[in-house]
Amino acid sequence: MVTLTIDGKEIQVPKGTTILDAAAELGITIPTLCWLKKVSTTGACRICIVDIEGVERPMTACNTPVKEGIRVTTSTPKLEQARKKTLELMLVNHPLDCPICDAAGECKLQDTCYDLKVDKNRYGAVLERLPIRYDWKLLESDPNRCILCEKCVKVCRETVGREAIEIVDRGDNTIIDTMTRQPLDCDFCGNCIGACPTGTLISKPFKFKGRPWAFNVTPGVCAFCSSGCVIDYHAKDGRIERVTSSDDGYNRGNLCVNGRFGYAAFNAPTRLTAPLVKDASGKLNKTSWDQALGTAAAGLKGITGVAGGAAVAGIGSPRVTNEESYLFQKFLRGALGSNNIDSEARLGYFPAQVIQWQMLGYSGGTFGMEAIEQATAVVVVGADLKAESAGFAYRVIQAVTKNDAKLVLAGSRTSSMNKFANAFLQCRPGSEAWLVAGLSKAVPAEVVASAGTISGLEGLQSSLDALSFERIAEITGVPETAFREAAALIRSGGRTAVIYGADVIRSVDSRNSVAGAVNLALLTGAVTAAGAGIYPLDEKNNTQGMLDMGVCPEYLPGYHTYEHAAAAFGSAWNTTVPAVAGKDLFQIIDAIEAGQIKALYVMGSDPLQFMPNRPRIVKALQKLELLVVQDIFLTDTAKLAHVVLPVATGAEKSGSFTSVDNRVQCFNAAVKPAGDARTDAVILQALYNLVADKAAASQTLDALHHEITALTGLYSEVCDHDGCRMGRIKNRTTTSVCLPLAPLTLSPASRPFALTAGPVLHHNGSITTRSANNLLVIAEAYVELSATDAAAISVTAGDALTVTSDTGSITLKARLSEELQPGTLFVPAHFGDAAVTTLTGSASYPQFVSLAKG
Amino acid sequence: MAQVVFSTWGGTTVDNRDVSGEPQAVSFRLPVAFDGKRPLRAFMGWDGIILFDKDVDVPAMTAEYMKRVQTLYCCGRCTPGKKGTKVLMDLFQNVLAGTATEADLDTVEDLAELLKNCKCTLCQSATVPVFDAVKHYREDFQAYLDPHYRSKVHPARYIHKITAPCMDKCPSHIDIPKYIEAIKNYQMDLSLATIRENMPLPAVCGRVCPHPCETACRRKNVDEAINIMVLKRTASDYERVHNAIPLMVPKAKKSKSVGIVGAGPAGLAAAYYLALEGYPCTIYETLPEGYGGGMVAVGIPAYRMPRAILQRDIDIIQSVGVEIVYNCRVGTDISLAELKQKHNAVFIAPGAHTSKPMGVVGEENGYKGFLTGGINFLREAYLGKPTGMGKKVVVVGGGNTAIDCVRVALREGADLSCLVYRRSRKEMPADIWEVDGADEEGVKFEFQVLPTRIIANENNEVTGVECVRMALGEPDASGRRRPEPMAGSEFVIECDTVIPAIGQDMDLSFIPADMGIDITKWNTVVTKYLPLKDAAGKDLKDSMGNPLSRTLMTDCEGVFAGGDAEIGPLTVVACVGNAHRAAAVIQRWLEEGQAYLSEEDIFDDVLTYLGVYDKGEQVPWLDSATRANQKEVHGAARAAKGNYREVELGFSDSTAQAEADRCLRCYRMALVAI
Repeated sequence: MVTLTIDGKEIQVPKGTTILDAAAELGITIPTLCWLKKVSTTGACRICIVDIEGVERPMTACNTPVKEGIRVTTSTPKLEQARKKTLELMLVNHPLDCPICDAAGECKLQDTCYDLKVDKNRYGAVLERLPIRYDWKLLESDPNRCILCEKCVKVCRETVGREAIEIVDRGDNTIIDTMTRQPLDCDFCGNCIGACPTGTLISKPFKFKGRPWAFNVTPGVCAFCSSGCVIDYHAKDGRIERVTSSDDGYNRGNLCVNGRFGYAAFNAPTRLTAPLVKDASGKLNKTSWDQALGTAAAGLKGITGVAGGAAVAGIGSPRVTNEESYLFQKFLRGALGSNNIDSEARLGYFPAQVIQWQMLGYSGGTFGMEAIEQATAVVVVGADLKAESAGFAYRVIQAVTKNDAKLVLAGSRTSSMNKFANAFLQCRPGSEAWLVAGLSKAVPAEVVASAGTISGLEGLQSSLDALSFERIAEITGVPETAFREAAALIRSGGRTAVIYGADVIRSVDSRNSVAGAVNLALLTGAVTAAGAGIYPLDEKNNTQGMLDMGVCPEYLPGYHTYEHAAAAFGSAWNTTVPAVAGKDLFQIIDAIEAGQIKALYVMGSDPLQFMPNRPRIVKALQKLELLVVQDIFLTDTAKLAHVVLPVATGAEKSGSFTSVDNRVQCFNAAVKPAGDARTDAVILQALYNLVADKAAASQTLDALHHEITALTGLYSEVCDHDGCRMGRIKNRTTTSVCLPLAPLTLSPASRPFALTAGPVLHHNGSITTRSANNLLVIAEAYVELSATDAAAISVTAGDALTVTSDTGSITLKARLSEELQPGTLFVPAHFGDAAVTTLTGSASYPQFVSLAKG
Repeated sequence: MAQVVFSTWGGTTVDNRDVSGEPQAVSFRLPVAFDGKRPLRAFMGWDGIILFDKDVDVPAMTAEYMKRVQTLYCCGRCTPGKKGTKVLMDLFQNVLAGTATEADLDTVEDLAELLKNCKCTLCQSATVPVFDAVKHYREDFQAYLDPHYRSKVHPARYIHKITAPCMDKCPSHIDIPKYIEAIKNYQMDLSLATIRENMPLPAVCGRVCPHPCETACRRKNVDEAINIMVLKRTASDYERVHNAIPLMVPKAKKSKSVGIVGAGPAGLAAAYYLALEGYPCTIYETLPEGYGGGMVAVGIPAYRMPRAILQRDIDIIQSVGVEIVYNCRVGTDISLAELKQKHNAVFIAPGAHTSKPMGVVGEENGYKGFLTGGINFLREAYLGKPTGMGKKVVVVGGGNTAIDCVRVALREGADLSCLVYRRSRKEMPADIWEVDGADEEGVKFEFQVLPTRIIANENNEVTGVECVRMALGEPDASGRRRPEPMAGSEFVIECDTVIPAIGQDMDLSFIPADMGIDITKWNTVVTKYLPLKDAAGKDLKDSMGNPLSRTLMTDCEGVFAGGDAEIGPLTVVACVGNAHRAAAVIQRWLEEGQAYLSEEDIFDDVLTYLGVYDKGEQVPWLDSATRANQKEVHGAARAAKGNYREVELGFSDSTAQAEADRCLRCYRMALVAI
């Protein structure tokens, strides 16, 4: 600790603390303009100058560390005069367009000038206006308003890891621009806008939408990816017009393109605003809620009355709140008497979490994702971090750039994280299980020895011993030396984090690839208290919470088995819950085809978008006697429905989401649902009473939390949200079991190209394909192929390519990549109209396809 | 003799403008003619102004100085710098245009004071000469306030140069503040690209450079120098440990080629910069493949410079279009004349690979155990050949090579490794950290001891070395006290191996007498130079006693020379700087038929001669961030037999970032009027 005196007050602070932070602890505010807590210090504005006894010049408080015994003075007439003059210099030729400047009212320059009473300017210079960049997407840059604080540049580089904007040119012409001076081509996360203290970098969609003070600002939780970023919705006239995030929040104000700009989907003109019911001619017509709910209830009652609850199935949503997921399964189980309830998590995340549960005793992340920042080594397997869950990417970037962590990337595809990697093990698509096995095999013995108590280690070791590095190299394409070098970066006694993503979760041999990733976390000590945790990734905001709430056929909420808890749930709900497991997503389709399931209730989900073999699914859905769809948009599935119910977006309701790292966060509605739309909760409670034998009283959110907490036993910490009973689960590291690898499989390639469909960073799920903002960046699906393959078949960017599999074919525009491995293809999975599931015969990747021009 | 008309340089005002009697005598370390021909009329820089010619238009020069600072170098990264120099620039332009007012002239003083709060030194230091000019030549400025005024003085041509104390002191003139700032800003790639602009062996000079830059670091005036060398290593290591491929793109291939003698630092550097310009370069190297790098390879042991890491630097140099022909000794396998015929230009950089004789009784007798020299010993050890070393080793000398020899002797399995030096420890020319390293590894030191005779047995095997103790006498020409033998102090150190390591020499026997290439009496190659003279008419020399500004072309047209063989045995960084210049001159010669130095080259030399670093300068700054030093492997085991693993461990990235944040970024600009 260092003791110093500031303005006559003594304080003790840790070595390395800046004078600015020390002063803040004393409650002394030193004015700043360029200082931004989350990035390295800059010292550009020179406003925070202070006097230090014995030092013959003022020092900047923001970047000067304290020293034992120094005496600091933060304000003298001379200092004030220097600050004022510096601001006057800053204002030389600064445009006085505050009336139309987006920052007016929230401009740090304005505030500082006001605070320091800068009312005249003794300096002047020749006025040369710099061109305003109107040609960027989503952002606009007016360099004339720039004070060169570098916050935007630093956030882009240090937080986002993109380096899209830099300081260019010299002298008074120095501006923030792209290095090439070409239009911005970046993540479009807009974190630079968030950091800009003036109106230099502004959001184009927000421009002229209103003065900052005219908006109602409601704290919320981002409803796109699984990172669970805290945000603020800015609403006016019932519309969300801007999303920002405070640097004081969990995610330090950092968002991605979806979080910052995806809100445009909520305002899309194609939003469903009234219930629809299909008439005899097959046409969907607008109707009243009573009519629509009555039709749905009557249909459901009719079918259960004849064929019982087993003739009904439900598909839930990773988008809705925990409370709505809970109500959904309660409706299916309690009111309709069916355990046939599942979701798109069946395609990967759920089976993966069952394996992880078996091995570790919990699903989702070990710790809150901030633990990753303290890791000494981060292993990322089969994940494109930014595309799947950008918050994780930002944490990993902090770990590797600020805290000296080593980064090992393993998987078939390169990503934006590659430039930070100390090792990149690039395998052939589909060989992820072998890749993870190779990595486990190469973990140094001393690391394993220090990894804590693990059972099943011998079994794992002998299954690994049975695999030779030669064989692994043959299958994956990764040589033994590469495994050894990568594993050597994981030190004994260090803190390792393991992150696994879609390419592991949806790999051909997902059982072995997922168990392998968990094994790796066990072997490296990642899941011990001293480790930095294991983190599965999912693209959507509440997949983890949805599963916690029992939206799966195997378990009741809280992962309770029917055997021991069906009765308890039944009595709590004043009904009977069937005590046998229901059908999963694939079995539901089979049963529809077999005529056993006659009614399907789909909430916030578009099976036609994600279910393999789209032509088959279309036929099955058409066969249903009753298809009820609750959604924001008229999806392809909704178009087939008998009843369509318009619902609220994540900004239009209250509740909680559980991020993939098990943070449960509550929020209130920022705006009312669009048009006549209702929240899923309201609809579900109404329907419950319409179809259940015994009506249930409509519950407040608070009462619902009580019920969930009591029945699931998941939540034991109280969260800080007013009146909320949901909090983070505890006691999760209960078991540490290694799983031996089952004989590794390898599917034969029947067609020459290995295709993966998955997320890209400029979209999230299908919802952002309804966001005009996101569409500005990526407007349509494409097929990405390696430049080598493109040359071989004479394809240039933009050419139409027909991709054919055993199940069907689709035509997309070609995009060339220097990074894709030859023989592999990638298609973004977001775009419904691309119908990529036409090609897929199963839920796993790669799918083998052939390519033809035209 | 050139007369100083007016000067404020160094804070002392000398005003000879209107003296009736004897003018005040003052001289500066500047040439009277900038390039040996054009008189240097005035000099303006961070420490004031110097006028040699009374007819220099001071307001015009001041305006030009501020314009160049603002438009060419001001980084825009702090408010006073960015806006203050803009206001000043426009103000002086207004002066010249006759639109300024008296009050504007007062603003200069106000801004000179405010700009003391700048983030770095460039704009801040730029106010010094500008303020001096307005203060002492106010009447000249006032004359301009009349819109009808026309300057009657002879207009000047101005040449400017950006520098920094560290940059100036670095013989390769690496843009040190820029690469350090890039590390501070988490831009390792930019940092390394900056280093490579002047130093194609970053991994090498990040490890084994004696870092003269750090002796000229202005942070030293606050507390301790920035760890410039290890920061360079950090940038280079970052690229390697992230498996990144550097993005240098050589220009389109040209038809003229360059032949280079020796794949040492000089040969590699010249080849690298020529290849980037599109000139195919072929290096002819005596040693076998895998041993490129010249003295860095065979003269610096692997525990200081791991071979694979050196090889990576060489591989990168080769990747831009450099061919290395190994096992090819010029003079034996191919003649210099043939080389000249084969290539359009030849660059001679053979290094200094011969040991100097010790001058003791018995050294000529060919005793077993008396090795031919330190540098030979290191080379044999590096190549994995038998060195002829026994178990008890005495190394004679006080330089880095001697230290390398005693430390290698331990790693080659010596039971005793003893260094004998005729002066005291603190006078050793070896780097102090190398001496400490040897000490930690268990090397025995005998200071102030002079070997006088090699003792051998009847089988002509060395059994010891007879020495005499030395006392320090009067200081010699180098300023060090001359050691003198103490009568009666003779004693014998028992040993079976004696390695003389008292200096290296060049072997220039491959240069035929009939090619017209001159050799100096110190056995270095003579190259052409500019006739720079001081006010007293004396030739300007560099610190090695060579002419200050050399074009590096020998007396044989088209044959250039560089590195140790041209400078005299020196350092990697000096050889690289010298070869980089040679590459530029060779290019000019190939393209324009003339081997000449650019104004920028000359200005570099002029500033080096003047000195940019001022150790007496008071640098007001809070000394609250202490220098970071790299970690190293400790314990005698690090020097165990066969253990050549690297001893120094570099920085973690976060340590490097914090260390980089200590840099004061001491840029400054000089402007001359000629």
